[in-house]
This record gives sequence, structure tokens and C-alpha cells, in this order.
Amino acid sequence: MHLLTADKLVKTYPNGTQALKEVSFSVDEGEFLVVIGLSGSGKSTLLRCINQLHPVTSGTIQFEHLALNNLQGKALRQQRSRIGMIFQQFNLIPRKTVLTNVLAGALASTPVWKSLLGLYSAEQKRQAMKYLSIVGLDHKAYVRADNLSGGQQQRVAIARALMQQPKILLADEPVASLDPATSHSVMKYLQKINQELGVTVICNLHFLSLVRTYATRVIALKDGSKVYEGSPTDIDEQWFQTIYGEDAVEVSIN
Amino acid sequence: MDKNQDVQEQLHATMPVTRYQATIKAWCIDAVLWSYSVLVIYKLVYQSWYLNLRHLDFSWSEPLACGIAGIIVASGLIYTRLSVGKAITGLIEFKDGESLFRTAAVRLGLVFLLLTFLAGLQVSQVSMREFFSDSGLTGAQRIFTALLTPNMSIFEDALFAAIETVYMAFIATAFAIPVAFILAFFAARNLMKHSALSFAIYATVRFFMNLTRSIEPLVWAIIFSVWVGIGPFSGMLALFLHSVASLTKLYSEQIEAISDGPVEAMTATGAHPIQVIWYGVVPQIVLPYLSYTIYRWDINVRMATVIGLVGGGGIGTMLMQYQGLARWNEVGTLVIMIAAIVWIMDYASAKIRAHLK
Repeated sequence: MHLLTADKLVKTYPNGTQALKEVSFSVDEGEFLVVIGLSGSGKSTLLRCINQLHPVTSGTIQFEHLALNNLQGKALRQQRSRIGMIFQQFNLIPRKTVLTNVLAGALASTPVWKSLLGLYSAEQKRQAMKYLSIVGLDHKAYVRADNLSGGQQQRVAIARALMQQPKILLADEPVASLDPATSHSVMKYLQKINQELGVTVICNLHFLSLVRTYATRVIALKDGSKVYEGSPTDIDEQWFQTIYGEDAVEVSIN
Repeated sequence: MDKNQDVQEQLHATMPVTRYQATIKAWCIDAVLWSYSVLVIYKLVYQSWYLNLRHLDFSWSEPLACGIAGIIVASGLIYTRLSVGKAITGLIEFKDGESLFRTAAVRLGLVFLLLTFLAGLQVSQVSMREFFSDSGLTGAQRIFTALLTPNMSIFEDALFAAIETVYMAFIATAFAIPVAFILAFFAARNLMKHSALSFAIYATVRFFMNLTRSIEPLVWAIIFSVWVGIGPFSGMLALFLHSVASLTKLYSEQIEAISDGPVEAMTATGAHPIQVIWYGVVPQIVLPYLSYTIYRWDINVRMATVIGLVGGGGIGTMLMQYQGLARWNEVGTLVIMIAAIVWIMDYASAKIRAHLK
């Protein structure tokens, strides 16, 4: 049985835009699946449909033995907490310390009144420090998150996602706002989490060079439909043009 | 292709309707404008200037007749370029590079504006003769001399009244903060648009807040002085109510301006909606909230002095009493005191707010 199976996902926004057209795919435990495609091809929508930030119009998301698209309220929050997510703009809480940001990953398992008062257990703090040291930022624990560089902020976001002890990590264009060197550093941390902690990763990316280095499998979206699925090494010139259009020229990050 | 054709057909079908509606709108605007001008010309030029009547009587037959006249004129002008309504609704196309003031309709609009200006002068009884008359100038001299030689023997009473005013404004602000803090979440469109029920709550809260805000604190003070009796308490209640309404508006606009990112991130961790607001929304709004609140206290101190005039307590009430007794030296002391408080509050709040950014 697959870890996650998406079957005929359709997402139509209220303004009539069809962002996803019957997209089906599945992910096995331990994979590093990369989703590629042009801006507006539906990559971000696809990730947000997996953890139901955007409810799907039709189709099913099977996570282990649960259909996520049928869940609501507490049951949905419980499953969301097992799926970490990081974003292009990092989305850290401004004016709060790095440690507070990482601890926010444990909100789902903390009673509401305790989290309002900021009362986290010693065990939770110990874990937060552990994940911070995994991303190499334990020395920044008491620094305000908005004072860090972009790459460091994304690593804090990874630590926050790890705090959820996720089965799957969704990464929505995690390096699109970073420079090439920092991009590789952040991608290496994602790879480390994938290989050493066994967290399955589903990642949206722009650059094919990054895809070839880090992905174990690739799917490509075009205008909301899946147009390619396979190994990253099999994407040749012809496929590239099918995905990105006739005039596209490959640009690489080294 | 089919879809495109549909859109095209719809456009063709709706175009004449919108043009038709715009013409009706233009005609209505013209009719109102011309009725108004005919009435103003009749009252101002004929009755006030030509007949030189001092007191203009009012009867319903005049506006009625002018209304009919206006409708007739508007109907005659609707197919010409002299229609102001057509200019407003966009039915007259302006050529690029052509000066707006060369357009007949715009010139006519300016004539209407001039007419309103002249009528305004007449109604507010602007008179240079009275401003510079002998008896007027002696009166001005008397009051300014008194104001500039304040009676310092009431200084302690005035100081005490001023402190009462500042505290009254502070309590009104302090009580308003928690109420506005909670109401603001319900008045923020981005948090409430997701379901019909929450949107209904949003609309209701907004409606009542706008209603409360549109009634001046002075009026609320009169209402509360009947309710709880004349004194600082009624003034405080008036300021409280008005502060809740305006802080709710300012706070909710701040919530609407936050970045969605942290909210999305907190939702994705599986956090409870209350946790999402506390961790995703609140850290983004705390500083602007503080800034607005301090500014509001500043405004409340100023308003509290005015509210005192209708019995809301504090230095305003004292000013009112001495003014009633025509004791201008004491009034002078109070005016200086009020100016000092307002200046100090203004300076302090500006300083604090600058540091909060």
C-alpha cells in the first residue's frame, strides 16, 4: 500500500479557474518526489490540496488508510499535524524567537490554553533544540526569527515542520527566494531529513538541475494536468519542451 | 471557441442596457442639479438680492415648482453636450489633450459650484461690517485682555479638573481595548469571509460599529448624562463607546492587512483556529495596535474637554461654568491649561508611537 495516493484530483477556484484537472499519483514511504511545471501550472495548489489548506473540488486524497478530503475539524487537524509544510516565503512568525517558531510546530499536540500562555513542556523544548541542531541553528535559538537570513529562516521552517514529527514533508518552492549557494544548502537539509530521518518529501521546484540532483521521482504538471511521471534522469530535451513550452531554454543552478 | 462566442453575445446584449441605465442616471442627476439651482437662484437672486427680504419664508410649493422646472430643463438638455449628468456618468467622451474647462458641461458644473458658494455666504451671514465694527472690536479687546491676564488663584482647581479629564480619557481607552480587541476579529473581512454565517456576523458588527462611530461623542455624552447623571462617568461612557467603535475599525483594518503566510503555516501544522489566530495573526498586529491605542488616548483627552462642555465632567465642565458667568480671566486660565494638556499628550504620544515602529 502507498503512503499517499491522490486520485483524480480536481480543483476549481470560485472565480472559475481550473487549477487541477484529474491529477492522480501516489507516493511511497521514503521517496523524494519532485513536482515541476511552469508558474501557474497548479503545483502550489496540488500541495495545498494534499493537506487540505485548499479543499478539493472532487477526487480523493488517501493518506495511509484515511481519506483526508472527507475529514473535518479535530480529525483533519490531527492528520495535518502528521504532514509538515514549508513555504517559498518561509512564513515564520515575525517578532518571535527562533525557538518559539520551532515550538509552534507542536501546537496540534499542545492544549489550547497552554499554548496561549506559551507553556511548553521541558520535553518539547528539548526536542525543539534537537531539531534546531539538525538544521545547524541551535546557537540561534533565542534570536528573533525575522533577523535571520533567508536561508536560515527556511531552515527554521524545516525545524518547525520536523517538530510535528511528520510522515510527509510538503515543500512549496522552498528555494525560489534564495540565492544558488543557499538553495543547495537548504536542499541538502531536505535530503538529509529524507534519508536519515526517513521523512517522505514532496517538493515543488523550478530548476531542473536541482531536480536531477535531489529527486528520486518526478511528476510534471502543465495547465493543471499531469503530463509526465518518471525518473529525473529521463527528462530529455523533448520532454523539457513539452513541459515548459517550445521556446524554453534550460537554465541551471550549479 | 464556444465560450468566447457566448461572452461576445453577452456583451452585445448588455451594452444597450447599461447605456440606457446610464442615460437615466444622467437625467436624474441633471434634474436634481437644475431643481436645486433654480431654487437657489429664486431664493438668493430674486428674494434676497432683488426684493431685499431679510427673512426668507419657506413653503413646500417653491421646491415643488422648482423641481418641475428642473425636470423640464433636464429633459431638454439630456441630448446636448450641456448635460452635467452625462459628463459624470461618462456618456460624454472627452478628447485627449482637450482641456476639461473647454467642455460646456464642466463649465456649467462650475457655475453650479459658484452658486452654492454665494448661497453659503448668504446663509452663514458673513459680514465684514460686523467683524470690524467699533462695538465688535471693543468686545474683542475686552475678552482678549481678560484671557491674557489669567486668574491664577483657580490654578489648583483647574489642575485637579485637568487630571480628572486625563484619567477619564485613560479609563475610557482602557475599557475599550479588550472589547475592541475581540470585536476586531469579527470585523475583519479576511477572517470572516469563509462562510455565510461568519460573513453575517461580520456585516452585523461592521454595521453597528459604523452606526456608533457616526454619532458624535458629544451626542453620546448627552444621552449618558440623562442615563447615569451629569459628571465624569457619563463622559467616560461616551468616550468608551466611541473608542470601541473606532478602535474596532482600526484594529480590524490592521488584521485585514496582515500577511497570510504565517496564518497558512500555522493552519498547516494542524493548530486549532484559536492557536492559529494567537500565533499567526496576533504577533503581526501587536505593535500597530499599541500605536493606535496610544493615539486614541490622545484623541480621548481632547474629546474629553469638549464633552465636559455638555456636563461630562473634568476641565470642560469647569470651562462651561466660568463662561456662563462671563468670568473671562478664569476662562483664560482654563484655556491655557487645556492647551498645555493637549500639547503634552500630543508630544508624548507622538514620541511613544515613533519608538514603536
